[in-house]
Amino acid sequence: MIRVEHLVKVFGDEPWRALPLLEQGRSKAEIREETGLTVGVNDVSFELEAGEVFVIMGLSGSGKSTLMRCVNRLIEPLSGKVLLTTDDGEIDVTALSAPELRALRRERMSMVFQRFGLFPHRTVLDNVAYGQEVRGSPREERYRVAREMLSVVGLEGWGDSKPNELSGGMQQRVGLARALATQANVLLMDEPFSALDPLIKVNMQNELLRIQAELHRTILFITHDLDEALRIGTRVAIMDDGEIVQVGTPEEIIVEPRTEYVADFVEHADPTGVMTARTVAVPVPGQRFEESGQQDGTTFFQRVGYPEVSYGMHDGRFVEMRVDGVPVEAMRLEDALQEETPEIRRRDAVLLCGPGATLKQVLKGRTYSRLPQLVVDEDDLVLGVISENELVHGILYKRANEEASAAGTGDAAAPAWR
Amino acid sequence: MTTILNVFETYSLPLDRWVQTGVDWLSTNARGFFQAIKWPVEQVLDGIEIVLQSVPPTVMLVLIAVLAWRTVGWKMGLFALVAMGLVGFTGMWGLTMTTLAMVLAAVVFCVAVGVPLGIVAARSDAFAAGIRPVLDVMQTTPAFVYLVPVVMLFGIGTVAGVLATIVFALPPIIRLTNLGIRQVQPEAVEAAVAFGSSPRQILFKVQIPLALPTIMAGLNQTIMLSLSMVVIAALIGAGGLGTPVFRGLNSLNVGLAFVGGLGIVLLAIVLDRITQGLGENR
Repeated sequence: MIRVEHLVKVFGDEPWRALPLLEQGRSKAEIREETGLTVGVNDVSFELEAGEVFVIMGLSGSGKSTLMRCVNRLIEPLSGKVLLTTDDGEIDVTALSAPELRALRRERMSMVFQRFGLFPHRTVLDNVAYGQEVRGSPREERYRVAREMLSVVGLEGWGDSKPNELSGGMQQRVGLARALATQANVLLMDEPFSALDPLIKVNMQNELLRIQAELHRTILFITHDLDEALRIGTRVAIMDDGEIVQVGTPEEIIVEPRTEYVADFVEHADPTGVMTARTVAVPVPGQRFEESGQQDGTTFFQRVGYPEVSYGMHDGRFVEMRVDGVPVEAMRLEDALQEETPEIRRRDAVLLCGPGATLKQVLKGRTYSRLPQLVVDEDDLVLGVISENELVHGILYKRANEEASAAGTGDAAAPAWR
Repeated sequence: MTTILNVFETYSLPLDRWVQTGVDWLSTNARGFFQAIKWPVEQVLDGIEIVLQSVPPTVMLVLIAVLAWRTVGWKMGLFALVAMGLVGFTGMWGLTMTTLAMVLAAVVFCVAVGVPLGIVAARSDAFAAGIRPVLDVMQTTPAFVYLVPVVMLFGIGTVAGVLATIVFALPPIIRLTNLGIRQVQPEAVEAAVAFGSSPRQILFKVQIPLALPTIMAGLNQTIMLSLSMVVIAALIGAGGLGTPVFRGLNSLNVGLAFVGGLGIVLLAIVLDRITQGLGENR
């Protein structure tokens, strides 16, 4: 959808002086000392797929805002390419003339800003209609689209207000509606929720995900907040000092940080919403389990050191679970979460969760039953077991138990980050 | 010996004669050019004055009061009614309308020239830097000094007076238009660019509307300067409220000078409040 290739941006007079130095692999500090130039973005390449939310996470000064502005050329990159795939073929954004660039911004790429960037002299409706207006759409058409987008972001009835009469969260909804109203396929979002209160921020993140599920735009999202990145990103790129140091799914970033820099970040992130049951589970049968007997074609396994619980399987499929030799009721985790939280945690029910269930869901299930949970796929094939041990390990170390990952836990270990 | 101790006695710079010669040359050889400048000013001025003088004074008085009421508030409306009534009852109504016509004509041209120049200055640092010393000179030159070349190039009379006023009152509207546009929130301009606005759309849809309060402050300043200059222009026969003041001074008729002066002050207050009100209503 969007391909960014070897993008470089250097600030200062005669910035091209930095190019040969960058090619020699000199550091930003060295280049600054030698030439007085500041390298903002250093040889960045990445690709956005249609319909995904691609998050670039970095601290202030990491070059993420500059990088985003190079994509729609609010800032001119020094070298490199930005290529956009459209129904009319591929567009080389970096080669567009001024009028072509305006057309691109009107029809194909819109933007949401950290400090909203609303027009204070225009009503909310006229703000939202702005993109259609500069494009020359007739008045009725642009107001129709603007009203529609206002209702998408939950602000119907506010069209006649001025932006300063709205709260911060509502103002950013206007900003989002304005960006959606151009019908552009690509949305650039520059720290859109950073200026909002924490609670409103989470609210807006959920709103964005809801709207995205409805409208399927391709979103490039910038943030300095890792939790936000992990929560909304289909994929996350970590940026440091003008370079992208790692790209991956939120879980990959959490589970397999590639550099110390990323690891430092991940240290403070909340993994429970990102890590999946598949990742933390310990495989069964496996090194930690031993066979305890057979009965009517069902093989029973026990965890080493925990003889009271046995897991009965047939051809790798779940059959039943026994506690002290007594079979217990099996329930789907989703169903258990639907029920009112019981006063007493049960010891006579086992929960089955899907491989994609988040750690948070598994933890919630834990309040329902104190027995280990079984991870099974759609065909009831048992992938592993999550007991207290695995939960604690997952939360504390943000990775699967060593032995478990040695046995292979699926996607998480695959180097999908390039 | 004296030649060294007093170099000014020995050497002199005949700048006065050069300027004289230059202005003489212009007034004989570029007559057509200056007449061409004079023409539109004369048309606008005549048009405004005919309108102002043809409206019956009572109707005009009420119109001014209503305008002050709508733009500022009922207190100001009442004040305008009393103030302009006082001007009329002291026999200054006709002269006040002439002065008002001159101010309005000067302001029309100041806006027509000043706002575009201010916009250019806001978009080009080089132009802003270049025009700045010119504006400084225009603002610091004593008002009387304008009158001499104006008389030589345009003759005497009301139109010449308005031309001198335009030059004198132009700087603030240029400066404040420039400032207003430069002060527009960069976020708003960036958003306009990001949504594919052309430079013209950015100017008219975002920059000028957001700069309007500042531009209106410049307009207010321009009106005030016009009024002060229009009075001085009575020296070159421009007519209006300056005339009784100067006649009063010459003949030591304190009463006449006072009544003329009072008219100027009251008109100034009313114009000032109304234009400020226009700016704040935005």
